[in-house]
Amino acid sequence: MFQQGIEIKNLTVRYGDYVALEDVNLRIRHPSFVVVIGPNGAGKTTLLKSILDLIPHEGNIRIFGKRPKEIRNIIGYLPQRERINTNIPILVRDVVLMPVSARKFVMSKNDTKKAKKYLKIVGMEDYWNHRFDALSGGQQQRVLFARTLMNEPHILILDEPFSGTDVATKMSLIKLLHKISKNKTIILVTHDINPLVECTDVVVLLRRRVISYGLVADTITEENLEKLYGARVPVIRREKICYVAGSDVHV
Amino acid sequence: MFSIFLIRAIIAVILISIVAATIGSFSVFRGSTFLVSGIAHGALAGAALGIYIALTFFSVEPLLVAMLFSVLFALSIGYFMYQKENVDVAIGIMFAFSMSLAVLFLSMIREYASVAWGLIIGDLLLLTEDDINLLIASVITIVLLFLIFYRKILFSIFDPDSAEAMGIRPIYYETLLFVLIAIGVVSLLKCVGVILVYALLIVPAAASKRIAGNISACIGLAFIIALISGLLGIYLSFFISVAPSSLAGLVATAIYALTFLKR
Repeated sequence: MFQQGIEIKNLTVRYGDYVALEDVNLRIRHPSFVVVIGPNGAGKTTLLKSILDLIPHEGNIRIFGKRPKEIRNIIGYLPQRERINTNIPILVRDVVLMPVSARKFVMSKNDTKKAKKYLKIVGMEDYWNHRFDALSGGQQQRVLFARTLMNEPHILILDEPFSGTDVATKMSLIKLLHKISKNKTIILVTHDINPLVECTDVVVLLRRRVISYGLVADTITEENLEKLYGARVPVIRREKICYVAGSDVHV
Repeated sequence: MFSIFLIRAIIAVILISIVAATIGSFSVFRGSTFLVSGIAHGALAGAALGIYIALTFFSVEPLLVAMLFSVLFALSIGYFMYQKENVDVAIGIMFAFSMSLAVLFLSMIREYASVAWGLIIGDLLLLTEDDINLLIASVITIVLLFLIFYRKILFSIFDPDSAEAMGIRPIYYETLLFVLIAIGVVSLLKCVGVILVYALLIVPAAASKRIAGNISACIGLAFIIALISGLLGIYLSFFISVAPSSLAGLVATAIYALTFLKR
């Protein structure tokens, strides 16, 4: 059995008659930085939720040889921000401490210290006592990211972490990801691979099935992107630079 | 000096304020204010069923049957959600179902229907010792469960996906919240009635959410607004000869309107 990371075997997910994912097979080594891209409805979020064992599926998923439910404490998950209820007058500190406070009745000084540390890492340490719903979209995303780090996860699963953020926020989040990616496996769904090219180890092109899987240079080709999106998408390459036309930022 | 009915009314207002602060706030946070109205109307069917059982089979307190009926209502909403149904649609369906049953049961008990209809209006100044005891028992249940599960309920309604990824089943805690709402709503019916239960549970929480800086402040402020509204309602009812709950509802709404003055 593959023990050094995440192994997905014959994964199929159905919503009634609709097949969201069909026979997906992947081996993700630990640590690595994996970017999953694909058109709307390609099954990207479904893939992430399957890895987390949040939805019923066929096939096998093992993380370090174990079922995801058995090792939840080493997985950090950042869902799409649109799913967060901002109708609650909750403070930033309470958001970051949530994974701890939901488990413990009394929190220790160490928990608070840790929460402050992660807020500092994401550059939000001055917002400790601010209302979460009063923050901008990018700031909220940073706070949620800090919360994801609270359990000190080995595996980070991020669903469109850059959605609704401006270019500067996006770039600082990417820098941050780069910084914390040591010894972690990061699986990230995005519509925009360009700014991530430098830190990406593996790209998964997904359209219900895995269209292509491998290094950026081998995967991001015009042929593959045409298979993925059903239309010709120019790819410009210059040494380390890879630019997919139509995306808003490139490195 | 103070009549026993007045003392009971004041005790009831304090207890109502606790329900408004906890359950009311979380209904507003969850965006499930329609559930309060749905359960209140559903309780009418339970009360009518209770009266029918008492007349036909054995002696039973109609309000307890209403409580049981409302808890089942809340559990059904949880089940609909589990089946991926939209929560508003689920409440709408259960609302229609229980109102249909209410009409059916009311037509079966005919001359005693007025007892069930009494729940529509409610009266703070006509509470019996049993009514207060039921209210106390409900408030203790709500506060205890709320204190134990508060953080898990909060996580579940704030970010259900992350909660689930951490092994917390949001569907359980949201359903628990719905059950607590059901208990709170039914325990208030005799005091304020089906229609005004909405005013006293939701309006103070909605007003405090607009001005409070955090969740604790929001809960505390909702308690104070509900308390002021209830006590002012009783006080004003001595000068204006109307039910105190209607005046309490008007005061609460006026306080809500005043929060718009805050920039």
